[in-house]
Amino acid sequence: MSNPVIFKRLRGQSIVILLALVILVFSLLSPGYFTTQNFLNILLQASGLTIVATGMTFVLLTAGIDLSVGSIMFVAGVISGKLVVGGLSVWLAVPVTLVLGIILGLMNGWFVVRFKIVPFIVTLATFFAGRGLGLLISETRAVNLPDEFLQIGSARILGIPLPVIIMIMVVAVAQLVLDRTVFGRQVYAVGNSQERSVKAGINLNRVLLRVYIICGCCAALGGLVAIAQLGAVSPTFGFQSEFMAIAAAVLGGTSLFGGKGRVFPGTLVGALLIQSIQSGLVIVNADPYLYPLITGTIIFLIVLVDSQRHYRRKQMKGIST
Amino acid sequence: MAVNGGQVLALVGENGAGKSTLMNVLGGIHQPSSGEMHLNNEPYAPQNAEDAYNSGVAFIHQELNLFPNLSISENLFINSFPTTKRAGLTLIDRSSTNQKARELLTRVDLKVAPDTRVEDLSTAQQQLVEIAKAMAGKPRIIIFDEPTTALSRHESQALFQLIGDLRSQGIAMIYISHNLGDIMQLADNIAVLRDGTLVSAGPKDQYSMNRLIRDMVGRDLDSYFPARSKKASDQAVWEVRKLKSDRVTNISFKVNECEILGFYGLVGAGRSEMVRAILGLDPVLSGTVRWKDSTYHKFSPAQWIKNGVVYLAEDRREEGLLTGKSIQKNIQLASFPRYLNPLKLVKYAPLDQESKVYADITKINYQNLNRQQVQTLSGGNQQKVVLSRLLMTHPGMLILDEPTKGIDIGARQEIYGLINKLVDQGASAIIISSEIEELLGMCDRIIVMGQGQIYREFSKQEFDKNTILEAALGSGISNMDRGD
Amino acid sequence: MTKSPNIILYLCLVYYLAAALVTPGFFTVNNTWNLLYNLMPLLIVAVGQMLVILTAGIDLSVTAIIAVTSVVGGYIMSADYSPVDSSSLAIALGILGMVITGGIIGLINGISVAKLKMPAFMVTLTGLMFFGGFAVWLTKSQNIYNLPAGLVDMPYTSFLGLPLPIWTGLLVLGLIYLVLNKSLLGEWIYAVGVNPKTSRISGVNVDLTIIMVYMLSGVTAAIGSVLYTARLETGSPVMGQNLLLDVIGAVVIGGTSLFGGKGLLQWTVAGAFFMAMLDNSLNLAGLSYFLIMIVKGVIILSAAMLNVWGERKVIWSA
Repeated sequence: MSNPVIFKRLRGQSIVILLALVILVFSLLSPGYFTTQNFLNILLQASGLTIVATGMTFVLLTAGIDLSVGSIMFVAGVISGKLVVGGLSVWLAVPVTLVLGIILGLMNGWFVVRFKIVPFIVTLATFFAGRGLGLLISETRAVNLPDEFLQIGSARILGIPLPVIIMIMVVAVAQLVLDRTVFGRQVYAVGNSQERSVKAGINLNRVLLRVYIICGCCAALGGLVAIAQLGAVSPTFGFQSEFMAIAAAVLGGTSLFGGKGRVFPGTLVGALLIQSIQSGLVIVNADPYLYPLITGTIIFLIVLVDSQRHYRRKQMKGIST
Repeated sequence: MAVNGGQVLALVGENGAGKSTLMNVLGGIHQPSSGEMHLNNEPYAPQNAEDAYNSGVAFIHQELNLFPNLSISENLFINSFPTTKRAGLTLIDRSSTNQKARELLTRVDLKVAPDTRVEDLSTAQQQLVEIAKAMAGKPRIIIFDEPTTALSRHESQALFQLIGDLRSQGIAMIYISHNLGDIMQLADNIAVLRDGTLVSAGPKDQYSMNRLIRDMVGRDLDSYFPARSKKASDQAVWEVRKLKSDRVTNISFKVNECEILGFYGLVGAGRSEMVRAILGLDPVLSGTVRWKDSTYHKFSPAQWIKNGVVYLAEDRREEGLLTGKSIQKNIQLASFPRYLNPLKLVKYAPLDQESKVYADITKINYQNLNRQQVQTLSGGNQQKVVLSRLLMTHPGMLILDEPTKGIDIGARQEIYGLINKLVDQGASAIIISSEIEELLGMCDRIIVMGQGQIYREFSKQEFDKNTILEAALGSGISNMDRGD
Repeated sequence: MTKSPNIILYLCLVYYLAAALVTPGFFTVNNTWNLLYNLMPLLIVAVGQMLVILTAGIDLSVTAIIAVTSVVGGYIMSADYSPVDSSSLAIALGILGMVITGGIIGLINGISVAKLKMPAFMVTLTGLMFFGGFAVWLTKSQNIYNLPAGLVDMPYTSFLGLPLPIWTGLLVLGLIYLVLNKSLLGEWIYAVGVNPKTSRISGVNVDLTIIMVYMLSGVTAAIGSVLYTARLETGSPVMGQNLLLDVIGAVVIGGTSLFGGKGLLQWTVAGAFFMAMLDNSLNLAGLSYFLIMIVKGVIILSAAMLNVWGERKVIWSA
């Protein structure tokens, strides 16, 4: 190691390096990749996933899981679409939808804290119920959205697309909350050990309730941001989004066992990584059938590199103590 | 029973003597069925843990209640952060949090930045954080429950110094420990509990070591370390040659038949790391082990067990027990491969029988072998479960890392007896211990390690507490005089 | 091992009786067969999944394994592609090929988790993406038809009075029961789930145990796929797509802990039975697809609440 300080700094940020590597490879493969326009596109297309994954990070930090985010995205999309089609102003439909996300998250959290049911089962139930509800409202047809929605999706402020601005704000606020509020620090404590948290006097139920509310709200917002770019809500919208959101958070260094992880850079970079691969595959004109194969392989390799590094560091740590 | 400000009351007794019950009553977790308590001449009747805390009664438990993923200051103020309002948001006031944390850390004499993560601290430092946490509540009484279990001798002394400081600050302390040496050093007054009643209490001067043991156990312990009938032979059955791993270098030693070899050293000397390498738990760079007639280059626990070498890990909870499983399953864990029929199905009938035999040999105090979960047992009985597991594989070599850590005096003696009995039957043993008296009493030879190397070897004739301690500190004596 | 009576067993009974009373057509011979046909593949896949969850792992790739093996089996057996003329040989080779494929994918999962120390969730999630995509890519989203009559008739062929799918299910259950409750591997699976460190020190081959559970999960998924493929008479690259949460749900609702070490085979059987019964009865009740999903969610939640409530009573009375 010629420069141990730099090496040490980079070691904590291997996900950023891997992101750079993915960008480098695609840039070499296609000249169209390394352009401001394309990067803006990646940010734009990643905005929905990032917002959903940000909420998911809160839940994962408490060692919980939320399988219902895909369904919440779907319900949020369908209901806001129906409301606007029915004549409600977009500016009213959006807050109504967010409140809906909060209510669904509240339900998840309430069952987790009140009945002590494992989050996996609670959110599995809302996964089914939410998707069913969405299908019921949409009558299992795609909901085409009026132009107002697409205008939000394509609006720009100072040249930056609105969805990207929303994404940046969500990530910034989330990281501020995690870092600098009592609640944020207690989320990490709860994720480390619920038993110890109670002993330390933390209001465990309040913390858990809040993370599911945040996750529900982020899922609804992420759903809105995504459909604002798509223009329609198909009956499969949000399908397996829960897994993509978890993947983004975990790629960004969040542990599924709680207490470890960050929204910035972690989850943001994780989501951008996934989107960079998918955009790259489009740009290099890969066979669309190969998308999931290549995406799966690349994520697998990233996790492999990361876990080897983690494993070795754990062994090294044993040495230093 | 009474404790005054600025004094240390030591509370001793075997497991089940009623110490924890008493502490739970003090801490407000249980309510007394009769009798009363007074704190500063006022009646004290805590209804719950919060009452106790508010009345100034603080606990330092054996198991630390810290969040390793958070910083020291966050741990200190997780539920009482100083905050400021900024732009409508209530944010943590970082600078005042760290300032307050620094004040507390000064009081416990921990010289570490308050934003250090707790997982980066040593166990001793973590304990200081726990004490600092207790200090934040401005306690009048601090109750220490086995605080030195996880500490090295050196670290314990630092803790005792801190307790001395607290004493001079006028804080009353109750100190619970199995380590009688610590008690004699620390206590102003001693109270002995047995079978739920107070057997005796008084100033320390009234107690000798022997009286303490007699009061605790209810009888004289004839001899703390049971005698062995057979002398160690001079035939080496176990030989480690030039073992090298990431953590230890140039480890060579032999163990004879019917011999107990002790390893002493400070924490971090590399003793546990050495045996973990030999066991195949940590990677080995080079070196061989000869056991009986075979020489091994690669090691794994499964292979060792098959060949009669067993290992008892220091961390009983993490590496010894299957928490949540029955006592029986815990005992059987290492023996399944020996009880298979040709279809590779387990022969449960003989296996269950055998495990009961071993549970009785080690005198585990159980109610129901296959229903009772192992964690419901006391520490000493849990250790006997792990020992039963080892004995059931018919070992020829026992490698024991801190076999009596946190175990009361009666169970300790039983465990010593079991080891000696096995060695009398022809086995050999390696014991790692931080209690030098234990090694002096049990071993035929003691090897002192430091910095991942062997410093010096002592034969039985050379046993002398002070010389061994000096050797462990590495003062002047090199390993030059060891010929191979 | 706590052998507290799990409330899911009673819940199944109660639900069954209620459905029999309330839903016309539920308590008929025809529907009972139907229910069992639906149950068998789900049950087989779920018990494999349970083994993985017992070691504190998870296998999200099972539905992709179902899809890939269905396609592989389809290619080997279908008259349109098969290199083999004899249909009975084709069936034998096809099933063998499916099981081997499932085992290999499980082996890859297992090695990644045990040897490469990767988190099970991510390994099998990328497995889900990759092998799911692989099945679609192989077939270019086309279904494979013209499967041999022997396979297509299999669900309706009886042996000693019981249809073959039920024999298959019983056989798999019996084998897994032996593995889990009577064999060395079973003891190791529980031990690794409770505490891998203690297990390793006590001579348990932790890596092998982990690799074995993922392989068994792959093989059971493949066997489940044989039944699905036979029933649907097609090799389909999207087969089982919506099953993932049903499978894991069956295991978890049966009371198996996602943190490992706790769970019994009969609990998972009950859990799978519950899930299959739920779908079957709601279908019979004439509910539309989306109402079924809503009601399913509500019932899963209620079942979990009763389960928690039941466990607490057990603790109180003990």
